[in-house]
Amino acid sequence: MIQHFPVMAVMLLFLGAFLVAIFGRISPVIRDGIAIITATISLILIYALIKPVMIDGQIISYWMGNWEPVNGYAIGIGYEVDALGLFFALLVVTTFWLSGVYSLGYLKNDENKMHYYTLYLMLSASVLGLVLTGDLFNMFIMIEIMTFASVALTAFRNRQAIALEAAFKYLVLGSIGSSMTLAGVALIYRVCHTLNMAQISAIIGGQFNLTTLMAFGLILSGLAVKSYIVPFHTPAADAYTAAPTSISMIFSGMVNKAGVYGIIRMVYVVFRAMDRSSLQILLVVFGAVTMFIGVTMALTQHEFKRLLAFHSISQIGYVITAIGLGTALGLNAGLFHAMNHTLFKGLLFLTAGAVLTATGTTNLDKLGGLSKKMPVTTVCFLVGAFSISGLPPFNGFASKWMIYQAIYTRAVQSGNIIFAAATVTALIVSVMTLASFIKVTQAVFFGQANPEHTDVKEVPLSMRIPMIIMAVLCVLTGVFYNVVYRFLLAPAAQAALSVRNYIDMMMNDRMTGASYSAAAGVTDIESVPASFSFWNPIVWLLLFVVIFLGVYIFMATSKSTRGRMLEGGEGYDPKYATFFSGEQEEFSQVGGSDLFWGFKTDWKGYYRIMQGLHSGIVTDYASYIVIGAAIIILVIFICMR
Amino acid sequence: MIIVNYIASVFLIVLGLYTVCTKKNLIKIVLGLGITDYGINLLIVSIGFNPGGTAPVYYMADLLNGVAPNFFVDPVPQALTLTSIVIGACVDAMALALVIMINRKYKSVDADEIRRLNG
Repeated sequence: MIQHFPVMAVMLLFLGAFLVAIFGRISPVIRDGIAIITATISLILIYALIKPVMIDGQIISYWMGNWEPVNGYAIGIGYEVDALGLFFALLVVTTFWLSGVYSLGYLKNDENKMHYYTLYLMLSASVLGLVLTGDLFNMFIMIEIMTFASVALTAFRNRQAIALEAAFKYLVLGSIGSSMTLAGVALIYRVCHTLNMAQISAIIGGQFNLTTLMAFGLILSGLAVKSYIVPFHTPAADAYTAAPTSISMIFSGMVNKAGVYGIIRMVYVVFRAMDRSSLQILLVVFGAVTMFIGVTMALTQHEFKRLLAFHSISQIGYVITAIGLGTALGLNAGLFHAMNHTLFKGLLFLTAGAVLTATGTTNLDKLGGLSKKMPVTTVCFLVGAFSISGLPPFNGFASKWMIYQAIYTRAVQSGNIIFAAATVTALIVSVMTLASFIKVTQAVFFGQANPEHTDVKEVPLSMRIPMIIMAVLCVLTGVFYNVVYRFLLAPAAQAALSVRNYIDMMMNDRMTGASYSAAAGVTDIESVPASFSFWNPIVWLLLFVVIFLGVYIFMATSKSTRGRMLEGGEGYDPKYATFFSGEQEEFSQVGGSDLFWGFKTDWKGYYRIMQGLHSGIVTDYASYIVIGAAIIILVIFICMR
Repeated sequence: MIIVNYIASVFLIVLGLYTVCTKKNLIKIVLGLGITDYGINLLIVSIGFNPGGTAPVYYMADLLNGVAPNFFVDPVPQALTLTSIVIGACVDAMALALVIMINRKYKSVDADEIRRLNG
C-alpha cells in the first residue's frame, strides 16, 4: 500500500491541474476547492511517508506499469523514495500547500485565476516528481515542466511589462540549462545503456572516462542553472521580482531547492564523485562567490522583492558551500540550511506580498512606518529577518552555525587555504545579511510613514495564517534543532552517503553482488554522527575575531573618506554630502532604504562593475551561462581525469 | 559515417549557443534555442543508431532462441528524441508568444532595449 503513495501524490496533482482547467470555469469555489483539496491530499500522502522512510529507514521503490528490472537491466521508469528524496519532498509539499492557501487571499483582484491554479498544480507536481523519481530522463522531463510552468506563472500578471521581460529571460536561460542537462543525459545513456540512477551509479562506480566526465560537467552545469548559482543566477533575480508573491515563495522555496537536490543526488549518489578534492573545491568556490555576490547586490536594491531575490541567491551559496565539503557534517548543515531557507525566505516573501497587497507598492523608498498598521506582518517579518541573519534562538542560527563548524573543521583538517577563505566569507556574508535586513526593517516597518498610506489595513486571515505557520516553524526548528537533526537531517544525509543501500533496493537486492561487481566496492564516505553540538570554543573565538576584523576594516575604509565633501562635479547628490542639515538642504535626509550609503560610496568601484554586469540584456546573461558551464566542464576535465 | 553525425550535432549545438549569445534580435535568440535543440536531438538519435541494424520488433521467444539477429537499432533514444522534439516545439511556441507580447509593450524586439529589470 505505502509504495503507491509517492506516485499517487504526483499524479493527483497533475490530475488536479487538468480538472481545474476543465471544471474551473463553472464556479470559483470548485476551482479553488480542487486546487486546495488536491494539494492537501498530496501533502498528507507525503507526510504519511515520514514514519516508514525517515524513522524505519525503508527505501520505497515503485516501477511504473510494473516494469521491473530484467536480467539486471532497469527498463521501466522507477520512482525511488529514500530519505534524501523524501526530505526535499517534505519541503516541496509544505511550500506549495502554504502558497496555495496564501494565494486564495492574495489573488483577490486578479483575473484568469483558473490558469493560475492549473499552472500552480503543474509546477507543484513537477517539482515533487523531480525529487521522487529514480530515472534520469524522467528527471529531465520534470525539469522541463517545471521551467514551463515557472515561466508562465512569472508572466501571469502580463499587463506589467517587467513580467513579460522576466518570463522571456527565464525561458531562454532556463532552456539553455535544460538543453545542457539533456545532452548530459544522452551521453550517460551512451555509456550505460540505462537511465535508471541506481544502475548508472552501479555501472559508473565513481570511475570516470572522457564521456562520463563530459556528461557529469553538462548535467552539473544544467542543474546549477536551476539552482541559480552565480554566474547562472540572473534569471532568478528578475523572475522573483516580477512573479506574483505566492509564486516567488514557490520559486525560492522549492524550485531552486529542486536544483540543489539534483546537485546532491548527482555528486553524491549517481556519480559518487564527492571524495575528489577538486570537485569539493569547485563547489565551495562557486558557493562562496554566490553568497558574496548575492548579498552585496542585495545591499543596493530599492525593490523589496528584488532584494529578497538576491538574498535567496546568497543563501543558496551557503547550501552549495556546505554540501561541497564532502563531509557528513557539511551535508547535514547544507540540508538544514536548505530547509531553513525554505521556511524563512518563504515567510519573507509572504510578508512582502502582504505589504504589496496593503499598500500597492514594494518600493522601499515609498514605504515606511507600517508597524502600527500591520502588527502581525511586522512580527512575522522580524522573525524571518532574525532567522535569515542568524540570530540565536531562530533556525538560521542553528544551520549557519553548523555550516561554520563544518567549513572550519574541513579547513583545519585539510589545511587548505580555500576552505579557510570560505569560512571567513561565510561569516562576513552573515554580517552583511544582518545589515541588509536592518535596512529593510527600517525602510518598511519603522521610520517615517508615507502620508499616502494612512488608510492601510492588515491583510485578510487567509494570508495571515500561512505567515504565522511559517513564523512558528522558524522558531520551532531553531529551538528543537536536535529533534530536526535526528528525524530529518541525519536520515537524509545518511541516505545520500550510503549509495550501496540505494542500488540494492532499486535493483531488487540481487544486483550488487552479482552483475555489478563495481557496486560491491561502494564505500560510504563517512557515517553521520549521532548528534552535533553547538559549543566549540575555538570556533566562537574565530567568529569574534572575524567580526572584529570586519568592523575594523569597515571603520578604517570609511575613515579615509570622512570629512571629504563630495559636492560638485558629476553625479553630485546632496544625500552623500558630509553635512546635509544645513540651510541649503533643509529637508534632505538619509532615507531608510539608504541606511548604508557610506558603504556604497566606499565600494563604488565594485558596484559599478557588478551593476554593469547585471545589465538586464538577455544575451549577456546567456553568455555568463555558457562561460560558467565552460569553466565547470574545464575544471572537471583537468582535475578529475 | 556516424562520426559525421556527432560532428554535425556538436556544430549545431555550438551554432545555436553562439546565436543566443551574440544576436540582439529576440526572434533570432529563439531560433538559436531551436538550433541547439536540433543539435541535441541529432546527438541522441546518433547514440541509439546501429549502422545496418534492423527495426526493434521481435517476439521475446525469438530473442531468447537466437532466431532473430540480435542486432537492432536501440528504440529508447528514439523515444527520448520524440519527447525532446515536443518539448523543443513548446519552448519555441511559448518564447515566440512572449516575444509578441513584449513587442506590444516595449515596441521593440531588440534585446538592448528590453532591460527594465537590471542592476
